[in-house]
Amino acid sequence: MEQDNPGSANSEDVRTNEASPVTCPADTDPLPVTCPADTDPPPVTCPADTDPLPSGPQSSSGCEEQGDVPLLENHIQSEETQSRPEDELEAGCPDVSTVTDCSTQREDEILEQDSAPDDVSGETGQSAPDVVSGETGQPANPDGEGHTHPDGEGHTHLLPERNSDSASAEDGRDDSEEFVAAMLARSKLEEQGLGTKGSSPPLAETGGPPPPGAHRDEDVTGDAWRAHRKHVFVLSEAGKPIYSRYGSEEALSSTMGVMMALVSFVQSGDNNIRSVYSDQHTVVFMTQGPLVLVSVSSSGQSEQQLRVELRYVHNQIVSMLTEASIARIFQTKKNYDLRRLLAGSEKILDGLLDLLDSDPSFLLSAVHCVPLASSLRDSLSQILQKAITPNLVFSILIARQQLITIVQEKTVIEDARLEPSDLHLLFNLIGASSAFQAGEIWTPICLPCFNPDCYFYAYISYLDPPECTVCLLLLSTDKEAFYAVAECKRKIEEAMMAQNALAAIAKAHSYSVSQVGVSDLRHFMYKPFDVPDNHRQLTQFTSPEMESPYSSEEERTRLLDLYRDLHSRIHSSSRPLKLIYHVAERETLLAWVTSKFELYTCFSPLVTKASAINAITKLLRWIKKEEERLFIRYPPKYSTTPNPSRSSRKAAEQHDSTDNGFLSLL
Amino acid sequence: MPERAKMRKPDVKVVILGDMNVGKTSLLHRYTEKKFKDTVSTVGGAFFLKQWGPYNISIWDTAGREQFHGLGSMYCRGASAVILTYDVTNWQSLTELEDRFLSLTDTANADCIYAIVGNKADLTESSAQGPVPEDGQGEQESVGTELRPTGGGSSSGGGGGGGDALHQKQVNQDDALALYARVLRYKGLDGMACPPGESLCFETSAKTGYNVDVLFETIFDMVLPSILKKRREGEPSTVDLEDCRVPKSIKGGCCA
Repeated sequence: MEQDNPGSANSEDVRTNEASPVTCPADTDPLPVTCPADTDPPPVTCPADTDPLPSGPQSSSGCEEQGDVPLLENHIQSEETQSRPEDELEAGCPDVSTVTDCSTQREDEILEQDSAPDDVSGETGQSAPDVVSGETGQPANPDGEGHTHPDGEGHTHLLPERNSDSASAEDGRDDSEEFVAAMLARSKLEEQGLGTKGSSPPLAETGGPPPPGAHRDEDVTGDAWRAHRKHVFVLSEAGKPIYSRYGSEEALSSTMGVMMALVSFVQSGDNNIRSVYSDQHTVVFMTQGPLVLVSVSSSGQSEQQLRVELRYVHNQIVSMLTEASIARIFQTKKNYDLRRLLAGSEKILDGLLDLLDSDPSFLLSAVHCVPLASSLRDSLSQILQKAITPNLVFSILIARQQLITIVQEKTVIEDARLEPSDLHLLFNLIGASSAFQAGEIWTPICLPCFNPDCYFYAYISYLDPPECTVCLLLLSTDKEAFYAVAECKRKIEEAMMAQNALAAIAKAHSYSVSQVGVSDLRHFMYKPFDVPDNHRQLTQFTSPEMESPYSSEEERTRLLDLYRDLHSRIHSSSRPLKLIYHVAERETLLAWVTSKFELYTCFSPLVTKASAINAITKLLRWIKKEEERLFIRYPPKYSTTPNPSRSSRKAAEQHDSTDNGFLSLL
Repeated sequence: MPERAKMRKPDVKVVILGDMNVGKTSLLHRYTEKKFKDTVSTVGGAFFLKQWGPYNISIWDTAGREQFHGLGSMYCRGASAVILTYDVTNWQSLTELEDRFLSLTDTANADCIYAIVGNKADLTESSAQGPVPEDGQGEQESVGTELRPTGGGSSSGGGGGGGDALHQKQVNQDDALALYARVLRYKGLDGMACPPGESLCFETSAKTGYNVDVLFETIFDMVLPSILKKRREGEPSTVDLEDCRVPKSIKGGCCA
């Protein structure tokens, strides 16, 4: 991403010079006071040159340094699938069929990092942190995404002359990896127009997306189609197109055929194609049962992040069809056209991909809550707790795509909770199906992280038509329960009317960063982690309104890109970091991960390191003070058995007095 | 259930069925809001309560997508009227009614009335001129049927350019009448005792509003006897899913 933009290339230098990503053993140094390089800036180094590991494509700085290498250097990441089944889990991409989801995996990973704080360039002050020492092979992440194969297996550098040779495919056949690399390079050149796109900055490309709905009619041979920042394709194992974000699937069937050819070619060697890197684009492949998902991105996101996004796309498809029925369909008919069943759902997938690009809750795998006085939130929860019917399992109140409260059935799902990623899918469904808002919707929906094979029945209704900002979502396990559940809604409506709750909700809106009272702070995202004794709490994050200078769509995207970049460095599987102080061109950012929280902050560009640290201390204090309002502390439960007991509620209240670990650092 | 007493009780249930993209949601939206706007594909089904004079009429706007097929019989249970909707520019959408949707109505009331509605009539209104070439049809099929979100056809001709804005009418009124006769035969209803096909086959346009009010008013008028009967009988039969089979068998012998 950054090498496309001359300005940010400079800023990259600045960053390396002045204060680079620093790993800070957070357990011993709770505040980033020991930030390096205040007095002794490390020399400008080219990490790719000094990096002892052949991990060129992974290290983001490495990529940037290679910007002057001709574009034909492609890298294939592949790995033995059967020998290392757990690698994928390590990399924060859990299998959908497992019960856990992305967020919990990610947290595990971070905790692992915390437990091994000394692994990466421990002498924080002195060494240039970009230069990773050879011992990066942490026990927690021995292999990660397959980037750091010490022997470079499955890692091909394609020579330019070979690539430009159109006959390379034939030449390469004796060497399978080079053959694949040549195939990839050629197909990518043809499909992505790499040669012609040159150095147009990706941010400019996002400027004028075609109006929604026009995507399907796009000319897939045109430059505009190639210039899209991120393509997502879904195809079946038989190579049948299922979904494309832009352009019609029919028109892309040959392109998808090439993708499937690549996937199956590598599979035939008992291997799995994972990603392809070129100068401009990252191509990530993901096989999920009978479906193959491909992301072609020039957004500069890491493979790991793109993989998480593909998993969301897959989960959204599963949410509509269930994993079991998808498997069954393809078992009986390998070349089934899944679009038959998904027809009409393109808007939902389109909406999901737009949200993935614009909503940081996906990046953080956490739910954004509406800031609300805890007394109001509690009374709303109590209203939900009282309006119950047999087989009702979740009652969720949502305002403007943010969570107000969530109440769940107590006994049926003692050990389960609704995962953030399932909630995101629900939010997306609501957003994508809100066109006719006066009615009450009843629809089957599968929550893949909860159970990928079964349906819930979702009742969706807005409580404040025609404004349609407050939405009630009731999930039942009984297909026939519509009228009973609709009756719950009427009870909730009445109770809320009596308390004038809608007006109170309408008054609650996102807060301004100025409320924190730190002048240089422009924006932040704060995500507290679960603490062990309360591990079933919903993962949440809080973030103020994006205000000037990030009020325009373009600037918002730019800030999110910066956050994504920091996120990918912090969560890099080969070289995880704890603290990054990044001086960008138009702002200064600081990202910090501890065992208690994950924090991303954005400051005005002229902030000094000392004042930034000061500001973060203030910010954390402010969040601590406001946490009752910003987060749902203890999601209440109910029992739909005839005599609902209040015991769970009481238990929650008891917990409330104890410290749940939010900011206990301070 | 005791709580149900508080609920505004629907007197009668009307279900709109039909293939996706024929404009079911748009039809209902045109009738209730007097507006035409772009809709997105319905998920599952949407329930509306329409105040019609002194009566409450519940209307189920269902999703046409095959994905939600399993819910169809639940929506239809105890229905007093079913609106089978097709797209006049798409022959397939009429065929689907018979192939996919007719069987869903097995759970409807025995005296249920069936309306056959051809939507998007605005696309063919002056279709007396020459037919659209073959490839034009193909485009309509692929674009309109598979990829377009539900819409009244406002922009279905987008790809075809302005020249041949009118689409070929693929389904004529006669086809609809023939289908109506087959529906009655499928239901084992006596054609003489039921309302004539002419009064229950409509061509409408959700986009322009053509015939939409007529359609709903006619149907509501026709279900009025069953509303009144239900009110006389006291207990509602359409609301309660568990009980609805009982009144159905009681009324088995009569056709309203």
